[in-house]
Amino acid sequence: MKLHGRRNCFSAAVAALVLVLCSALVSGNFVIEPSLNIKNADRTIDLHSQLTKITNKLVVENTGKSPVKYVLFALDAKQREQLSYVSALLREHGRPELKVKPVKDGSIPQHSDKIFFSIELKDPLQPQRSMPIEVEVLLTHELQPYPKEIMQKDKQLVKYLGNVYLYSPYPVTKQTTTVVLPSRNVENYSRIKPVTQSDTTITYGPFDKRPAFAKEELMVHFENNNKFLTVTKLERVIEVSHWGNIAVEETIDLLHTGALLKGSFSRYEYAREMKSGQPSIASFDTILPAAASDIYYRDEIGNISTSHTKIKKDSVELNLRPRFPLFGGWKTRYIIGYNVPSYEYLYNSGDEYILDMRLLDHIYDDMVVDEMVLKVILPEGSNNVQIELPYEATRLPDSLHYTYLDTTGRPVISVTKKNLVENHIQNFKLKYTFPKLLMLQEPLLVTVALYIMFLMVIVYVRLDFSIDKDEASESKLRVAGQCEKILAAQDRRVSSYNNLDDLLTQLKTNKDVNLFSSAVKGVNQEYKNATAAIAELAQRLKGESGDVYERIQALQKHDRTLKDLYNQQQSMYVDKLVPGKMGRQQFIDAESILSKKKEDCVEKINNIVKSLQ
Amino acid sequence: MKFTSCSVIFTLALFGTLEIESMSRYISPINPSAFPVLSLVLLFIGIFFTAWFFVYEVTSTKFTRDLFKELLISLVAAIFSGFGVLFLMLWVGIYV
Repeated sequence: MKLHGRRNCFSAAVAALVLVLCSALVSGNFVIEPSLNIKNADRTIDLHSQLTKITNKLVVENTGKSPVKYVLFALDAKQREQLSYVSALLREHGRPELKVKPVKDGSIPQHSDKIFFSIELKDPLQPQRSMPIEVEVLLTHELQPYPKEIMQKDKQLVKYLGNVYLYSPYPVTKQTTTVVLPSRNVENYSRIKPVTQSDTTITYGPFDKRPAFAKEELMVHFENNNKFLTVTKLERVIEVSHWGNIAVEETIDLLHTGALLKGSFSRYEYAREMKSGQPSIASFDTILPAAASDIYYRDEIGNISTSHTKIKKDSVELNLRPRFPLFGGWKTRYIIGYNVPSYEYLYNSGDEYILDMRLLDHIYDDMVVDEMVLKVILPEGSNNVQIELPYEATRLPDSLHYTYLDTTGRPVISVTKKNLVENHIQNFKLKYTFPKLLMLQEPLLVTVALYIMFLMVIVYVRLDFSIDKDEASESKLRVAGQCEKILAAQDRRVSSYNNLDDLLTQLKTNKDVNLFSSAVKGVNQEYKNATAAIAELAQRLKGESGDVYERIQALQKHDRTLKDLYNQQQSMYVDKLVPGKMGRQQFIDAESILSKKKEDCVEKINNIVKSLQ
Repeated sequence: MKFTSCSVIFTLALFGTLEIESMSRYISPINPSAFPVLSLVLLFIGIFFTAWFFVYEVTSTKFTRDLFKELLISLVAAIFSGFGVLFLMLWVGIYV
């Protein structure tokens, strides 16, 4: 009985252990390692811009007995909305980046009111050793303008509320916190001893040992006239064309999120007091890729002419000046677009393509993007789309986009993410398949459309809408049609005569009868065909128009005479001239008589031809 | 479960780093600097045949018309104009 109980106990323990192991494997549970300790924490809170940049230089120490693979980093759950970016690196040679993964909510019991990140260490931290790491945290919208409303010429004061201590899951032995401000003008700050203020920095600490999750409110109220500008909505559209171009277009909604403007806006005052150190924003710089061309900057009304581009070695700097200066609470919306050549960002092998481009691009320094939607428009017929994102983002359902020369629509891949900063300017990779032959679809589409138009013309000219059939004019047309064909045959006959003339002159000089007679056969055949064609056409005309028929008969008659004359000339050449049976004078006389007769004949024929035209 | 999702992430990371290196940069089959010349030449030929087609259509009567000739001229006109229009669009910046 006793033994049995022990065995039961043992098996229960094994089961529990397996369960723990399994759960650790399945859900990736994290525990706050009690043996870890932060030996030294050096925090810098940079409040220079509208962002809160917190750099935590930590020295992590393992006081336990087993190596540790990850370090947890914590933030208050209240900061969830403001938190934008967390990154970590090892503070040693080369400053290698460490992987930071968000820990699923509630996976660390008793701490569901906190946000955790696990920093994976490249090499596990061995017992009794320490490791210097640096964790950078970027938060947005933490600086609150105070007062909330200011006059046009007032300076902007903002208030920062934070934690004087490192909010760490591990106890901290020693720490200092430095707050860096943009100006010397500090209204007020928390006097948590020891504290020193010098110029634009306030230093708290060093503090001695603090427990885990230590908290004491830090407040700084100071002047900050830097850009408090938020992109409330960014739509970035990338349109890929396989004809060698990638078009990028960004629709940007800007809002000045600093202290609201109280009272009216005076253009006169603004022009008079136009100098730096004012919270209003007149212009800002956007950095575009170096290959950007055909840049446009416009809004709903049209082009905004107040922009300047500066081409630098590795970028194009674009100075944008909105239509009006932006004061607190004022907003504007504009569109910026440009083209880049495909070879900069598109790679292929066979029908496989990879687009390697920035998910988010620079808009202005220290920017805040509340919401971004990226749309990648692929060429029509692309399929097997796979996307690899540099950080977590939500993929929206695919849609279709219709533009010039589209039939089934172009696939659109959409991705959205909230709360982005400059650190989010990273590349995504989009892989897809596109059969090259589909590129011919577009020109063939135009070709087919034009051909259909031509076919419609062909059909249209064959339609007859007349109610009354006009026999007379129809007959005239028919006769004209036959005449045209007869004239074409007559042309062929004339060219055969010309050929014959050439052959005779050749014979006169080289006196080669054999060559001549073989060449003449072909010419005569052509002549016979043409004559036969005319005779046949004439027969058809007989019933239609007696007059034309008679003229053609006359044409045939004269032609026969002409052919006779040619025959005479030919026999004279072959029988008399070549064998030398004819004197020179005699030949010249005969030749001139013949050519005279020929000319008469040709003139008659030409008259008839003219009358037929 | 955990292992499979891990391996998915791993392969996803692989396709970017490995495949891009074995791939070549994509260049348009036709050099974009040739678009203006191509569109002008093709459109010139296309317009020539179109003009011929229409002149033929209006001058021929129903007794002299030759369907084969009409179809042939219009086909040539359509092919040249079609490609010419495409390159014109590309030239002016409508990247279809």
